[in-house]
Amino acid sequence: MLQGQLEIQLIAIVTAVACALPGVFLVLRRMTLMSDAISHAILPGIVLAFFLTESLSSPLLILAAAGTGVLTVVFVELLQRTKLVKEDAAIGLTFPALFSIGVILISRFAGNVHLDMDAVLLGELAYAPLNRLETFGNDLGPVSLYVMGTILLLNLAFILLFYKELKLATFDASLAATLGFAPTLIHYGLMTLVSVTTVGAFDAVGSILVVALIAGPPATAYLMTDRLSRMLLLSAVVGGVNAVSGYWLAFAFDVSIAGSIATVTLLMFGLTFMAVPNRGLIAIARRRACQKWEFAQTMLVIHLFNHEGLPEAEAESEIAHLHEHLRWDPAFATQVVKYALNNRFVLQKETQLTLTQQGRTIAQQALVQ
Amino acid sequence: MQALETKAIEVTDLTVAYQDKPVLWDIDLDVPPGVLLSIVGPNGAGKTTLIKAILGLVRPAAGNVLIYDKPYEAQRRIVGYVPQRGTVDWDFPTNVLDVVMMGRYGALGWIRRPRKQERALAMNALEKVGMEGYATRQISQLSGGQQQRVFLARALVQDSTVYLMDEPFQGVDATTERAIVDLLQELRENGKTVVVVHHDLQTVTDYFDWVMLLNIRRIASGPVEETFTPENLRQTYGGRIAFIKNE
Repeated sequence: MLQGQLEIQLIAIVTAVACALPGVFLVLRRMTLMSDAISHAILPGIVLAFFLTESLSSPLLILAAAGTGVLTVVFVELLQRTKLVKEDAAIGLTFPALFSIGVILISRFAGNVHLDMDAVLLGELAYAPLNRLETFGNDLGPVSLYVMGTILLLNLAFILLFYKELKLATFDASLAATLGFAPTLIHYGLMTLVSVTTVGAFDAVGSILVVALIAGPPATAYLMTDRLSRMLLLSAVVGGVNAVSGYWLAFAFDVSIAGSIATVTLLMFGLTFMAVPNRGLIAIARRRACQKWEFAQTMLVIHLFNHEGLPEAEAESEIAHLHEHLRWDPAFATQVVKYALNNRFVLQKETQLTLTQQGRTIAQQALVQ
Repeated sequence: MQALETKAIEVTDLTVAYQDKPVLWDIDLDVPPGVLLSIVGPNGAGKTTLIKAILGLVRPAAGNVLIYDKPYEAQRRIVGYVPQRGTVDWDFPTNVLDVVMMGRYGALGWIRRPRKQERALAMNALEKVGMEGYATRQISQLSGGQQQRVFLARALVQDSTVYLMDEPFQGVDATTERAIVDLLQELRENGKTVVVVHHDLQTVTDYFDWVMLLNIRRIASGPVEETFTPENLRQTYGGRIAFIKNE
């Protein structure tokens, strides 16, 4: 593996994990769309900071963008608080307004500078290693690895330090308020982190992928566990796995790395959605199918039980007559009989069915309920 | 000269409004220590808002609230709150014991994490509400009555002096209701003050010793036998009250 490849993957993993951690709380607060809004609305902040510093790599860009991100949250909440606009509409009104201010600024004043929309919106992981951090002629590695590494540490520190407060404020904000934990402060702390993360990540991977990285792994992890701490851990792992497998997929098909990682994120979610034990689609379908057979089997044993020992028993327990008496489709009847035979609830003598002791017990239990 | 008698909760001239629509008009309420008080009134009477205003969760347009002679901010540690069950997301990834331990967060303060001691206190509270067997259960798997008991346990673990509960009987079965009532009465016997937003007029006299009748303004408050009169109820509910028997 070339050094460049290794660096790209490292950047991808660090970015994915940095996004996944605050993403967990956004998903639980039903605020993932806010990250989408922030990732677009920070554009005017970036542009203004660029005009001031005339450099794309100045840390001021990140600060200005993060400030604009928090401003987005404030605007959305102010609009919402009027009760004249709902949250989704407030988001939909705020971020295009801010984004378009950025677009107008670029097109009016920065036409001939290197600050084009593609770079801002899509980013390009493949070029990330080209921008290197150097001191006294020594190459220390790609800048974005340092930027994202710092943001990751920041996120990790915040969540480890305020885990209890974040959990309480997310689960029950009013209890948090009555206990004196200032849920608004925690909220804005989290949103500042999301803004900083979005800005940092979007320089490396573009704004669309940022949203995928923030929403995808936590939503996947949410399906896998019932504990918040594990959800955080799993989100980080899923984010990292998505990043690496997305990279190699992009390498194999020679396509955009960001697009490929976003696609893998979706696939991973879909796979989990289908296959996760207990609550996945497959498990649910299997449980439903089981219930259907279980219920039919119960009907069968009750039917046999009710007529057991009576003169008509012989006619009633004729397999061929099940579809007549119970109005069952012959194929279905055969299946049910097979199911009950397997469970040893009935015995078959030629075309006659008789109950086993076990079957009798089941029928009695079902009738008592 | 004897000092004025201390009140557990003292609400004076409290007005709460959303925009210019008053939800509570000039409420005065004195709750002496050690009573079990129910707040009753029709829908939209402002019962929940009153509780929230006492807890500082909504900002009043005017008026004052004191808990044992001090503002709420100074008395957080001695006030326990049971919000309505429907105000939280029960699909949140956490288990019963964890939710109950949240009641200790206030005593722990910022950053410090719950430890063995908090765990033991939470288990103890779960035993009191008969839910010790559910400690590791994911909260989405609980029935409505069980969720309510978990919320009660979370308030018990705060070991408060004053408890404010918003509709703790909502959507629970008869057994759970009985268990909750026993618990509330036990709290009162231990000298705690308990304020409960309540819906069922039929049970007021059985369950509570004090009552406040509220419909945006305070109609009456005091011991049940003096306050819970047909005349006061008529004033609170207007003509829409047919099922109160004249004894």
